[in-house]
Amino acid sequence: MSGGDTQWPRFEIFQQARPDGPFDNVGSVHAPDAEMALQNARDVFVRRPQTATLWVVPASAILTVTREELASGTGQPPPGAAADQTEQIYHVFTKSSQRRSMTFVTYHGDVLATSAEHALEKMLLSEDGAHTYVYWVVPDAAITSSRPDDAESMFAPAHRKSFRLPGAYHTRTLMDEVRRANEEPDNASDT
Amino acid sequence: MPATPEKVVAPIVLAMADDELILGHRNSEWTGHAPILEEDIAFANIALDELGHARLWYDLHSTLTDTSPDTLVFFRPAGDYRNVRLVELPRGDWAFTMLRQYLFDAFELVRGEQLLESTYRPLAEIAARILPEERYHYRHTETWVRRLGLGTAESHSRTQLALDVLWPYAAQLFGPWPAGDKPSLAGIVPGLAHLRERWEALVLPFLADAGLKIPTLELATAEGRDVHTTHLAPLLQEMQEVARLDPEATW
Repeated sequence: MSGGDTQWPRFEIFQQARPDGPFDNVGSVHAPDAEMALQNARDVFVRRPQTATLWVVPASAILTVTREELASGTGQPPPGAAADQTEQIYHVFTKSSQRRSMTFVTYHGDVLATSAEHALEKMLLSEDGAHTYVYWVVPDAAITSSRPDDAESMFAPAHRKSFRLPGAYHTRTLMDEVRRANEEPDNASDT
Repeated sequence: MPATPEKVVAPIVLAMADDELILGHRNSEWTGHAPILEEDIAFANIALDELGHARLWYDLHSTLTDTSPDTLVFFRPAGDYRNVRLVELPRGDWAFTMLRQYLFDAFELVRGEQLLESTYRPLAEIAARILPEERYHYRHTETWVRRLGLGTAESHSRTQLALDVLWPYAAQLFGPWPAGDKPSLAGIVPGLAHLRERWEALVLPFLADAGLKIPTLELATAEGRDVHTTHLAPLLQEMQEVARLDPEATW
């Protein structure tokens, strides 16, 4: 095999847990196109209930900037915006906590701008960003969304699949029993 | 005196259960071997869904006949299975697997939509539960078959070859129900000619759109669901091996 990346392009997945709720980034999938990405996202990330809508966005369409890049100037957006470009909607996502979480960046706000860099610049001007570690700027035009009438076949069946939840099995109780049995005094000579 | 619905329905329910079980088992053979990780997860989900559908049909069957699903699944020899030969064929390559699943999904979809109207309520209730998942299966395999059919020269020729092999087997889906085409089935299960018409209306234009040539239609052999290929026995041998080691064990 040659050294190149032979994988399909990467799509970032944004999940909306309930209608009118925010979209949060839950991970990524590889796929040859957006429709396949949507289906792969359904099977990889909607194994548990509570999904109203999925967005898939080609990773290459997203501007990602870390706090360190901003501080060192390497990620600094070029000032201003090209005058001949029309404005479009950008969705800005941020990571503002170091806690472990099922999501990476979460929804922060929408900006009307002529480019992703311009959108980030506008966002930075309006706040101090002291607690933001990562910014993602997603052009609205790059989003492929599941449709409302997809929900019944894409998301609803997961509600009934209790066998996917760890609680459906007694493995943990059994493991505890096994562990306790191993800790009985007759095993003490092993240690 | 006409037979009760329970009497005529039981063998049909068993056939539907066996189709789902054997196909689900074949699909599960891809787990860990699918072309990419994401599809491995997606297709394992579909395999599990089919086993879940089989479970629903076996459970209904056991209320009709007092035979437990475990007994039927783990202790029946190949000759007693009532699945179509289409689902027992070895999984082949990815094109073969996707195309078989597509043809079966289309069948399950049109059959499920018809069963919603069944005068025998348990059939309609299970169909209502299965259908949302089937709509997704159909969308997924349709997506794959279209891309394989219109993809590279190799993906196209593999998919066409799969279609040529699978087509006559698919015709058995519309062979007589195991109970025979009794007048007493009217309203309980959809008529097979009508099912076939709806299936062809769905499948034929799609396959043509996917750049595939419909084989000259070969009629299914007269052999019914009690006749199997040599591939079913080894599948069952593996599937039943553990249960048969200790038939009295509690799981």
